Amino acid sequence: MRQAGAYSGILCGGISGRTGPHSLPLARIKKIMKKSGEDVKMISGEAPIVFSKACELFIEELTRRSWIVAIHGKRRTLHKDDVASAVVATDIFDFLVTLVSHNHGCALNNNANNDGAVMEIQTLQYS
Amino acid sequence: MADGPASPGGGSHESGDHSPRSNIREQDRFLPIANISRIMKKALPANGKIAKDAKETVQECVSEFISFITSEASDKCQREKRKTINGDDLLWAMATLGFEDYIDPLKIYLTRYREMEGDTKGSAKGGDASAKKDVQPSPNVQLAHQGSFSQGVNYTNSQGQHMMVPMQGPE
Repeated sequence: MRQAGAYSGILCGGISGRTGPHSLPLARIKKIMKKSGEDVKMISGEAPIVFSKACELFIEELTRRSWIVAIHGKRRTLHKDDVASAVVATDIFDFLVTLVSHNHGCALNNNANNDGAVMEIQTLQYS
Repeated sequence: MADGPASPGGGSHESGDHSPRSNIREQDRFLPIANISRIMKKALPANGKIAKDAKETVQECVSEFISFITSEASDKCQREKRKTINGDDLLWAMATLGFEDYIDPLKIYLTRYREMEGDTKGSAKGGDASAKKDVQPSPNVQLAHQGSFSQGVNYTNSQGQHMMVPMQGPE
């Protein structure tokens, strides 16, 4: 029964922008940071806030690049293989290659189908 | 609280192939899939759809991204014999690892956050707001966004020309 009414506009910072603008939960971000390594013990209050925005930018970029792969294959639905192809085609996403190829063993093999799109992304990148 | 509706919980995330680290609770490893999905939709044109497996993949990638950046920042802190990782360490790590395009929007975001904190100390806690937040970001955040991501906005409006849209990448 709970519905987002006129209220939600205010809650998301509509009028004054006073409410928390973060679109991702800070406590969760902090937990993931702490799991990054033994040496990560103290984290400043601002660090998860930086990440809440950085993750948003990261998700948007990964999604846009994946979408290019999808539409190149004449599809309007993003699948994990599109994400995997976008990762493989993008230099700064190199750190994700193991993750996407490990979890989706077939993704890299399927790249044969997506080669065109991959090329396209590379062209975009360096143009 | 905020985690309730947004949390992937155990049930909603059923691809049981996270074997290497599956002993760790899901809600400690990942950001809520509902939040991820909302942000992904923002980056797609209106007719774009997202399969569940794509959301889950992005969800894993985001956690990896956080760890990747944090490790680099943590190394820097160790070298400089500091114990606390701060926001600037993260910005430095992102710039070092190729995400320099994120720096400007992040600085704007941080400045805005600091101003806001100064105004309403204590009344705006991010954790609560995340669940209530709706697809529409606040106008100011959107502005901050347009600095380097304005092409994303055009992109949504002109689907015919999607291939022509330059991605912001190393130029």
